[in-house]
Amino acid sequence: MAHQRPAFTAASPPLLHHPVPQHPIPSHTMRSPPPLSQASSGSAYAASPYQQQQQQQQQQQQGMPSMHNLGHGLHPAYGGFLADPAAQIGLQMGASAMKNSREYIEQNMNRYVNYTALKHYFNVSNSYVLNKLRLVVFPWRHRPWTRIPKAVGPGQVDGMFLPPRDDLNSPDMYVPVMAFVTYILLYTMLAGIRGHFHPELLGKLASTAFAIVLLEILGLKFGCYLLNINNESQLLDLVAYSGYKFVGIIGIILIQELSTNGWLRFLSFFYFFSSNAFFLLRSLKYVLLPETSTDNPRGTVQAVARAQRNRRTQFLFIYSYVVQFVFMWILTMG
Amino acid sequence: MAMLFWFGNLFYVAVLLVNAVAVLSEDRFLARIGWAGQQDQGFGGGDVSIKAKLINLISAIRTLMRIPLIMVNIVIIVYELLLG
Repeated sequence: MAHQRPAFTAASPPLLHHPVPQHPIPSHTMRSPPPLSQASSGSAYAASPYQQQQQQQQQQQQGMPSMHNLGHGLHPAYGGFLADPAAQIGLQMGASAMKNSREYIEQNMNRYVNYTALKHYFNVSNSYVLNKLRLVVFPWRHRPWTRIPKAVGPGQVDGMFLPPRDDLNSPDMYVPVMAFVTYILLYTMLAGIRGHFHPELLGKLASTAFAIVLLEILGLKFGCYLLNINNESQLLDLVAYSGYKFVGIIGIILIQELSTNGWLRFLSFFYFFSSNAFFLLRSLKYVLLPETSTDNPRGTVQAVARAQRNRRTQFLFIYSYVVQFVFMWILTMG
Repeated sequence: MAMLFWFGNLFYVAVLLVNAVAVLSEDRFLARIGWAGQQDQGFGGGDVSIKAKLINLISAIRTLMRIPLIMVNIVIIVYELLLG
């Protein structure tokens, strides 16, 4: 870069009368793509990051002459700084650092989050989502609540279940996640209509809702530990089921906003609460009350198993009615 | 109401609860009400009662969380003194 400037000034002697730009000012701005002729001449300025790496290798093979050519038709400040060896090293280091960090994140994400298991929960279709929403809001007439096991071969089943796309009773993550986000946005929007909007409200609501879900999962896991229910593989199911209450909460908030009648507000709360509780009671039955663990034929063991089953049923009832009542009350009235 | 459920408060509540369990004295309190540490459950792990599970949990917390709790408590005390 330093050896180009004397050559340029020698070609056109400097004028001393009034300030004249020393270099030809390019008509394009910094970000606009340069003409094709320059790009074909191997300027690193025009190339995309992927081409740049290849070109850097070429330039390193060619050595100094290519650097000299590079800044020829270009403003020296543009062509120069990319041809600078230090800048190239910096670019390469940046690219490799980005690549390494991305690989690191992917590795660790795979270690902590089971991607294939998560994908199963997002395998939904339009009709599934509509039917599921209808089921959460109006669960009273739904008849079979058992999930359909996935058939591996003819008459064979493994531990897996059909994805939500094919089975209405299967838990999914799509509806809970969407309802969660919608709840936060809706609440904030209604606060904005009333003139109480503050950006902090978004974070506050998200934190509260997330903490409630977390608390719920912790309580469920603690109950499972106390009642000797081993369902390590179904943690994601529990997360999904604890998110379905946001559908009801959205309904409650909407009705509360639209109506000024106190009775209607109360009624809507109790309707959505009871429908959600009924839905949870029926759906969680297969998680918390597994039939396979209690089919012991001996008498005394069966009595113990029956007592255990009773306790589990009580726990299920308390979870889906009492706990849900408290949480939905906090989330709607808070 | 909503302030109750911030993450910081939730963390405090969890730490305080674990503290409350860890501070229980084995021979002065737990032995008197019959909740002392486990007496060799052996292989009868199939139908453990809720009480046995709770006793197990308490003794596990008492042995496992003692040293980490000291650290966490010190960190929280320093934080509260400086910024609280």
